Amino acid sequence: MTSSNRETISVNDCQVLAHYKYDGEQYILTLSSSEIAQKTIPGQFVHITVSDVTAMRRPISVMSVDEENGAFDLLYKIVGEGTRQLAECKVGDMLSVIGPIGNGFRVTDKKNPLLIGGGVGMPPIIAIAQQIKNNNDYNPFVILGSEVPFPFTPQPSEISNTCPSKTHTMPILEEWNVACGLASLQGFKGVYKGYVTDLAKEYLDTLSKEGLSQVGVYSCGPHPMLEAVAKLARDYNLPCQVSLEEYMACAVGGCAGCVVEVQTDDGPAMKRVCVDGPVFDAQSVFS
Amino acid sequence: MQNNLQTSFCGMSLNSPIILLSGCVGFGEEYTRIKGFSNTKVGAVCLKGTTLEPRLGNKPHRIAETANGMLNSIGLQNPGTEIVIDEIMPSLKKNETKFIINISGSSVEEYGEIAKHFDDTDIDAVEINISCPNVKEGGVAFGNDPEMSFRVVEICRKNTTKPIITKLSPNQTDIAKNAARCIDAGSDGLAVINTVTGMAVDIETRKPVIGNNRGGLSGPSIKPIALLKVHQVYQVSKKYNIPIIGQGGITSANDALEFIIAGAATIGVGTALFYDPLVCEKINTGISQYLSDQSLSGVGSLVGTLQLN
Repeated sequence: MTSSNRETISVNDCQVLAHYKYDGEQYILTLSSSEIAQKTIPGQFVHITVSDVTAMRRPISVMSVDEENGAFDLLYKIVGEGTRQLAECKVGDMLSVIGPIGNGFRVTDKKNPLLIGGGVGMPPIIAIAQQIKNNNDYNPFVILGSEVPFPFTPQPSEISNTCPSKTHTMPILEEWNVACGLASLQGFKGVYKGYVTDLAKEYLDTLSKEGLSQVGVYSCGPHPMLEAVAKLARDYNLPCQVSLEEYMACAVGGCAGCVVEVQTDDGPAMKRVCVDGPVFDAQSVFS
Repeated sequence: MQNNLQTSFCGMSLNSPIILLSGCVGFGEEYTRIKGFSNTKVGAVCLKGTTLEPRLGNKPHRIAETANGMLNSIGLQNPGTEIVIDEIMPSLKKNETKFIINISGSSVEEYGEIAKHFDDTDIDAVEINISCPNVKEGGVAFGNDPEMSFRVVEICRKNTTKPIITKLSPNQTDIAKNAARCIDAGSDGLAVINTVTGMAVDIETRKPVIGNNRGGLSGPSIKPIALLKVHQVYQVSKKYNIPIIGQGGITSANDALEFIIAGAATIGVGTALFYDPLVCEKINTGISQYLSDQSLSGVGSLVGTLQLN
């Protein structure tokens, strides 16, 4: 590590600007911070104090940023005591937030980004969509999956895409003019019944050889989903980046608590999800 | 930095009585990613536990939160002595603070060999980890047996002229007896305490949360244990003028002062950084203010001033 890494992360007292609850104990939390809104790249996360009682912070990916108003959104789901306490915070409360942290997605020049997010892994995928929405060089297709009701109201889409199965979409993606498919095994209205990878395969099979050569896969979600996405990418010979999660303590690389085993040219290595990731090459993690 | 924080420890002149603990701050650069954090605000940085050969460490999960603390079982992941000396040490910002290497071996001889390697470097001191609870060989197996502790410290003493600090385990019956043997073997200082062994269980899978099944407990929940151990060790170490790093659950200046009063010459901060990466400045300010309020010239005047009931 070189000294050029110094002072890249700030400790911020952020005000809660909005906090909405959705089905399945999911929440979207909007916090104030011009610095985080300006500096965060897709795939980066913040390390957030959840309450006065629970001292350990929780790492949560940034979903979208509002540079104009100095705010950013997080999506999380109650999975334990820490997130249960976070769910108690109210508009006006102040939370200590460290960030932005981590190596985010490296959005390559592949013109057909395939963005796949599952559950609370949707945020960094939405963040990539936000970053490239106005860039006409890209023709992205987003696939979002959830086994609890989506943390938004799916709406019919007017945006054309080649995927044979037409589904509803996420309102903000429609606003951004980004094509999207929704998938779930639950049989939700307007949602493809199947895995995100089934829908992804349908989409990929519509592409020409030339089109396929321009696909880059970006994914975040539950481990089994990422494993399936990595396999799909391998089958189609597509580059694929995945964003991982692990229990985390320091979030700056100091404790080596959040490692994942990856394959390198020098053999297996334990890489820190916080600063070596959270985004890794899929084939180095799932091989 | 406030003048009254200047502290002498094992022959080193420290900016502050705070020592950042091994395993919490990587190799000293990691926390400098954070704006406002500076190694100049601490007396010393104790580097990640280093073994002779590289170690991958334990499988995940390596950490789990517990009530007022956390379990960890990293398993001494490190690149090995050669890489630490050749590639990491040259980039340490030696003008910012003192650096202490923390060493771990799976045999008495291995400890000796690592100590010898670091003797030829510009490291400021060597901390001997005879109390790591998270490795199969060595670690706490040495630290819970006073005679094994003696042999480890003895061989390191033969192999280095650097100040030696021995990190003691709380997971033993008589920590003071062990401390006495470490002093006999030539330890210049003692670190009290390492983590307390523990476990957490996932009731859904009925498996331990920690990949290695067990881990070391740190954080505020172990502070009362650590304070008593410091007090007990101090009863032995004061006779030989051997200073203690008091550590275990310190998150505030008040916590730090309790340890100093109990007998610690310096105080270790680790897990508290995970809660608040800028905590050291607050601890410094609080200690300095207390010393002024009590008309004390420095931390040294407060060490071991505990008056028992």
